[in-house]
Amino acid sequence: MTSFAVALDLLREAAARRWFLALGLALTALLMLLLTSLRLEVVDGALAASRLFGQPLHHSIQAADVALRPVFRVASQIVFWGGLVFGVLSCADFGPALLSPGRIEHLLSLPVRRWELLAGTFLGVLALALAGAVYASAGLVLVLGAKTGVWTGWPVVSAVFAAVAFGSVYAGMLAVTVWVRSAALSAAAGASLVVLGLLATHRIALLDLMGQGIGRALFAGVTAVVPPLGKLADAAGALASSAPLAPGGLLRLLAGTVAFAAALLAVAMWRFDRRDF
Amino acid sequence: MSAAFAVTSLHKRFRTRFGRTESLALDGVDLEMPRGEAFGLIGPNGAGKTTFIKCLLGISHPDSGTVELLGGRPEDPRSRARVGYLPERLTLPGAWTPRAFLASVTRLKHLRPERPVVDELLQRVGLSDAADRKIRGFSKGMRQRLGLAAALVGAPDLLVLDEPTDGVDPLGRVEIRQLLAAELARGASLFINSHLLSETERICSRIGILCRGRLVRSGPLAALTAVQQRWRARFAAGSAPPADALLALGFQPADGSVWEIAAADAPALNRALDGARATGALLVELERASRDLEDVLTEALAAGTA
Repeated sequence: MTSFAVALDLLREAAARRWFLALGLALTALLMLLLTSLRLEVVDGALAASRLFGQPLHHSIQAADVALRPVFRVASQIVFWGGLVFGVLSCADFGPALLSPGRIEHLLSLPVRRWELLAGTFLGVLALALAGAVYASAGLVLVLGAKTGVWTGWPVVSAVFAAVAFGSVYAGMLAVTVWVRSAALSAAAGASLVVLGLLATHRIALLDLMGQGIGRALFAGVTAVVPPLGKLADAAGALASSAPLAPGGLLRLLAGTVAFAAALLAVAMWRFDRRDF
Repeated sequence: MSAAFAVTSLHKRFRTRFGRTESLALDGVDLEMPRGEAFGLIGPNGAGKTTFIKCLLGISHPDSGTVELLGGRPEDPRSRARVGYLPERLTLPGAWTPRAFLASVTRLKHLRPERPVVDELLQRVGLSDAADRKIRGFSKGMRQRLGLAAALVGAPDLLVLDEPTDGVDPLGRVEIRQLLAAELARGASLFINSHLLSETERICSRIGILCRGRLVRSGPLAALTAVQQRWRARFAAGSAPPADALLALGFQPADGSVWEIAAADAPALNRALDGARATGALLVELERASRDLEDVLTEALAAGTA
């Protein structure tokens, strides 16, 4: 319960930050733009014509739900990667702010366990990421659904993948912050994890290109534990566009990502419990 | 009833990032604070006062020694739930209102943030008029008052205040003193760390002096400031005997009709007073000579650094 109270406080703090106000406004403006500028003519369930800002978009006549699949796939990729980059930049300061002198002493004097403070911060950031991703996806589903009559919840479900992926990245950022209180270092750690996640996606192909040696062993070791974010993004895109997925592989991917985040959080909590302030 | 807190042989070293020893902050501090009293910890900068508070509240981990806080361990949230703490430099969320901040502290203390209770706290620290203003526009004194209100959430048994009147105007200091007196009357214990000796002297009944991580003096204020074997006598105006007579009896002029006399024991004191009365002087007041806290601190620091 205490962790939820900490998470709620973080959300209140985020509501006052320009980053998140700007994101909310930008997303809303984009959705409003689509709502007012995009014209889709659906005849008997088929997308006959599309206009954006009055200009016709050339495509063959096809079933509306089929025509929207690539749109949802691309939107899912934008939410996934855009969300990761935005999250790394905008959330880098939450950990250092929690540990700032004059604030952490006060928090630690309250009847709050140290791990609850970290868990609450993590939950708050995760809720923020989830809210942003779901708002963008649900908004797009609503706009396109209202215009075509095609209603699907999969793009919203795929947005959860983006939040899970960001959770694993943010756990690393938080762990670094517990050692060194620096927003820049936290953001650098997040960016590094995103890049490593991309490299881990193509791990086998990259290992084939590398010669034997300590560098290869190091790369193999690191990319074995870092979640392959590209695969997760592809899975989110496939889900959003109602493409078939292997359920076992998806579950393993999600479980691995969650386990990675949990392990980093456990390390952060271990260190936080022993730190002096 | 157990003590508000008791620390035994508390040691704390600060090390550099690579484990090299940097400084000794606390060097075997033993201190027990009775419940219901006001204790003031004084000492120069870097003496270890804030480190002592942090170890007391579990914010820092001592290298060795024991800490008992309200009968429990500081790491136990149940012990800390009964403590109100005002850090030296409290960082407040600038975008929040005082009401929202106090509601958050109340929730983290596992209490219900009821608006009348929050409003009463704001009224007690004189921030009722600023209840809906953003904290970022607050002056240092207002922030200090809000920090004090946060420390008072849940009517704690022990208040630990690090420089409570720092940045507060003189009138505000009087209000804070009154507020702390009311907390004492309620039965709370007060532990104050302050550079302002006159404030400490006015609020606290017990004093501890920390120097280079060691507690060099500790005890009731009256005992620490009393000058052993020295008395102040005031004679009725117009009845004072010639100065030569009093000087001959061992009296030293202090202030107007007040004279000081050194006496090893009660018979010696009475012999001197009898001698003065024999010359026609009328004694109207007699008290033990005392020093102010600054003298005590100076002497203690000189002894502690010797």
